[in-house]
Amino acid sequence: MVFIQNLIQIIYYVMAALIAISLAKSLFKRKKNGNWVYDIMYAYCLIPFVLRVLHIK
Amino acid sequence: MENAKKAPSKRLIAKIVILVFFAVVAIIAAVQFWQLRHFKEEVVVSDALTDVKWFSDYVPSLEGTWLDTPVFFFDSGVEGGTVFICGGPHPYEPASTVAAYLMMENIEVTKGRVIIVPRANYSGSTEGMLGDAYPMFFDVESEWGTSTFRIGDRYTNPLDQWPDPFVYVNYPSGQSQAYQDIRNLNRTYPGRENGTPTERAAYAILEILRQEEVDIAIDMHEAEILYPVTSTYVAPASVLDREHFEETGEMVFVEPERNALDVAMMSGMNLSGQFLMKSEASPTSLHGLSHREWSDWSDAMTILMETPEIFIDKITGPRTEALMTEGKDEFLQKVTDKGLTYFPYDMEFGTPMWYRVGRHLTGALETLTWAGMFYPDIAVEASWPTFLEMQDLENQGVDSVGAFLKDPNAPENADNVYVIYKEPVGENMLKWEE
Repeated sequence: MVFIQNLIQIIYYVMAALIAISLAKSLFKRKKNGNWVYDIMYAYCLIPFVLRVLHIK
Repeated sequence: MENAKKAPSKRLIAKIVILVFFAVVAIIAAVQFWQLRHFKEEVVVSDALTDVKWFSDYVPSLEGTWLDTPVFFFDSGVEGGTVFICGGPHPYEPASTVAAYLMMENIEVTKGRVIIVPRANYSGSTEGMLGDAYPMFFDVESEWGTSTFRIGDRYTNPLDQWPDPFVYVNYPSGQSQAYQDIRNLNRTYPGRENGTPTERAAYAILEILRQEEVDIAIDMHEAEILYPVTSTYVAPASVLDREHFEETGEMVFVEPERNALDVAMMSGMNLSGQFLMKSEASPTSLHGLSHREWSDWSDAMTILMETPEIFIDKITGPRTEALMTEGKDEFLQKVTDKGLTYFPYDMEFGTPMWYRVGRHLTGALETLTWAGMFYPDIAVEASWPTFLEMQDLENQGVDSVGAFLKDPNAPENADNVYVIYKEPVGENMLKWEE
């Protein structure tokens, strides 16, 4: 079980990093939802993923 | 045409400004999380200290992790019993750890041996409860300055152990429990040497009880006043027949050689002139808790103590530092007036930190007294500040917790200062700073 836990944790951090990259990419390059409100949303949503990838929270 | 070219660049600048703004917000949050995780608590340990070990001395795989924690030994050199005192199993019950620190700073042992772990779940002290906004620290004022302590979580930090299963199954009982209790030190006893980090910490405590031949084990907690087991001693009146279990796998409970519940009940009755302390028998059907598993899997006589901590009641007003240190809340007063709490709560007095710490200090001493009277062969004679001494100081307007804390920066204390902190050595792997 400890091995599976460690494996899931690694996958989780990789996923968090990929989502963070995707959000950052969407902030600067996206085809839909062009309103500036979405700029704020994408930037705001980045915070927890960055903190997780950095193992801070 | 020129306007069309300029428009995207303005938008790009706006995006960058938004990103920078939220990066600043993230940095502010990160600094706070980092401070809580890496805060250094200092203890000026009494001259009675004879040895310091670590959980990793008992479970080597804990070395360099956030679950490793120091174990302080105070040996009188006079033949007697051995008592183990556990502080901080649930870090969000901080009177437990502060009581352990006060013991360590002021202890004198004249018979037997005292072993103290002040931060049993160190990892859990490095975070706050998810979704519960409350202060990270609280202060205690002394003549010489301010001491700051963490308010942690109930569980091991998910940075150190994650994910949780859908259902946590306690080992070896096989009992199903809430999923998050897999990170709850006081649900993972007796633990496993090769289990989760929390199970390994639990196993380290059981190894201390077994290898150090502990006779009396005291586990210090705090509880909500809406929870029946508050202001209470909990002790087993029967223990697992280990030989029968190893032969058959069947759990049968028998009368112990030394009855912890007798000691708890006499202690509670004797303390009634100072404060309310009920006594309850540890259920044989509820597994993973210290008051059940410590005595089931070692020869120690176990007693768990609960003080009233309204900070963790769910119906209080704002969870502020004052609520932690003073314990005054109008909503709990209303509930108490309706007879719905399990403690005679009075908002005028509250449940201040000194009161809860003093209860632990005297509650532990009382159990040592009665254990020695019931079973003279395991008598331990030790002293540290008492509830009545603290009450006297409070009546004089002195912060009694601060009065018994020593100044870690004073030159005369320099050789006795222990920093309760771990230095990072890699990915989730940290090493204690001695």
